[in-house]
Amino acid sequence: MPLIEIKGASKGFGHPGSRTEVLNNINLSVEEGEFIAIVGYSGSGKSTLINLISGLVKPDSGEALIEGKKITEPGPDRGLVFQNYSLLPWLTVEENIALAVDEVFKEWTPEQRKAHVAKHIAMVKLTPAAHKLPKELSGGMRQRVSVARTLAMNPKVLLMDEPLSALDALTRAQLQDEIADIWLTNKTTVIWITNDPDEAILVADKVIPLLPTVPATLGEPMFVNMERPRDRKAINHNPHFKKMRSELISTLLEAKGRTKMKASVKISLPDILPEDLNTPNSYQMLGRSGPKRRSDKNREEVEVAA
Amino acid sequence: MNILIQKYKLDSIFLPLLAILVTCIFWYAIAGKSVVTEKVDDFGDKIKITKREGLSADLPTPAETWTASKPYIVEPFAKRGELDQGILRFTWMSLVLVAQGYLIALIIGTPIGFFLGLSKQFTKAFDPIIQVLRPVSPLAWLPLGMILFSGVKIMDGEGRTTFGASDAAALFTIAICAMWPTVMNTAVGVRAVPVDYLNVAKVLKLSKWKTLWKVLVPATLPYMFTGFRLSLGIAWLVIVAVEMLTGRPGVGGFLWQQYNANSYAHIILCILTIGVIGYVLDRLMSVVEGRFKTA
Repeated sequence: MPLIEIKGASKGFGHPGSRTEVLNNINLSVEEGEFIAIVGYSGSGKSTLINLISGLVKPDSGEALIEGKKITEPGPDRGLVFQNYSLLPWLTVEENIALAVDEVFKEWTPEQRKAHVAKHIAMVKLTPAAHKLPKELSGGMRQRVSVARTLAMNPKVLLMDEPLSALDALTRAQLQDEIADIWLTNKTTVIWITNDPDEAILVADKVIPLLPTVPATLGEPMFVNMERPRDRKAINHNPHFKKMRSELISTLLEAKGRTKMKASVKISLPDILPEDLNTPNSYQMLGRSGPKRRSDKNREEVEVAA
Repeated sequence: MNILIQKYKLDSIFLPLLAILVTCIFWYAIAGKSVVTEKVDDFGDKIKITKREGLSADLPTPAETWTASKPYIVEPFAKRGELDQGILRFTWMSLVLVAQGYLIALIIGTPIGFFLGLSKQFTKAFDPIIQVLRPVSPLAWLPLGMILFSGVKIMDGEGRTTFGASDAAALFTIAICAMWPTVMNTAVGVRAVPVDYLNVAKVLKLSKWKTLWKVLVPATLPYMFTGFRLSLGIAWLVIVAVEMLTGRPGVGGFLWQQYNANSYAHIILCILTIGVIGYVLDRLMSVVEGRFKTA
């Protein structure tokens, strides 16, 4: 039995009339110990997909299962690493992790919990910063705390929602390697969402593109058969890596090219019209805008690539 | 000269002093001045007649104000009689009353703010009532307080009333007037708690109680303290009105009594004292507020 299974799930947001379908007919099956990366464009529904598994979002149709049981609410067995870290700013690194540990391992003694917290701070190499507040840490360090907090809950699956996309390229590369190393030692199941094809191929064993059709759907999985640990310098010349990357990118681009959609866009044109003096202008004293320029009102239907 | 001013930031001392001086000159200009004229009366004696003249004849000049206020300022804690005490002694009485009313306002206002922030239904239900009660003046609440608490009478062993209807009404008025900024700011703060923090709580499966204390309250604290600060300002505004109407001893009571005694210099003393204390309270609260600013 797969650890995580999504069967024919679809999800949309909004009320009837102004509703947008985000995901359609998602089928995914994750075995225990797998490292899966899902690659897609920004805004194509990646976060919604991972939230189906985390339980923060419920599917409109179809179902999401963990160990054969339906996912109805969030829980500590599915550790979610947020894109923007989501550390509580009034708690130190240690307290942030302890909040999770104390909640999940209520039956442990305080000493056990303390040791568990310390172990995970050490795992992400932040022991010297254990008593600092999040605002005193760099972005990379914050995300390491967030990873440590999630791993400390001993989740069955680690859900990473674009964990590194807020970081600069160098920190990003370093953290990719660090997280891959951590995975090698404890082999937790990982579902990693990203918008970077290179990152996906570099860290994961199986890469699934999220095709940016409207609504989005999952493409065919690709398997990465490369030795671990992967050397990011050598990998650029690896023919398998190059082939996979071009395949992945062309799959995504192709799907995008197929979908055009209409959107109403406000266009700001250069203002060459004279002010419309017939428009009432009585509020100027109160700091409201004065006469309207006709060009302010332009709204046009344009065709854009989704 | 300019270098000196810049070096020691003297302009932040000079400019306010200059403004105070200008204000005092203006005050002196409109104030009444004593003019002494000599006259020969019907019996052939020379007598002196003192008359006050000026734009506002009864308004004392700055110097007269100082002379009249001096005993109250140089002995700020003196007690010469029930209604003749040092200015800080009066201020202290007012502050004690404000503190009590303010505390009641916070204890009632904060939970109401939380309910408003957490529940849309609660907001929809109570928002009209709150919006109607919020702008009501303290002068309007006080009589209602008197009626509500007309039966309150706590006496000490010798049969003197230590806490009567007017005290209860005063506390009621301060509390109900000072409560609103706390209510509104707490509600806004609760609504502004980032969804991510709540998601963290959900993923960790924190209990409702723990979510409240570990996530909601710390995340709302900066907003709450802004509310607390505004509330304290209002509480201090209300005290004067309350004391004037109830006749309690305090700065406001002293002010009203001195008005009735035609002792106008003391009114100015009271106004300045009220202003300075209000300013100090606001500064203190903003220091506390700054400490709770989280990212």
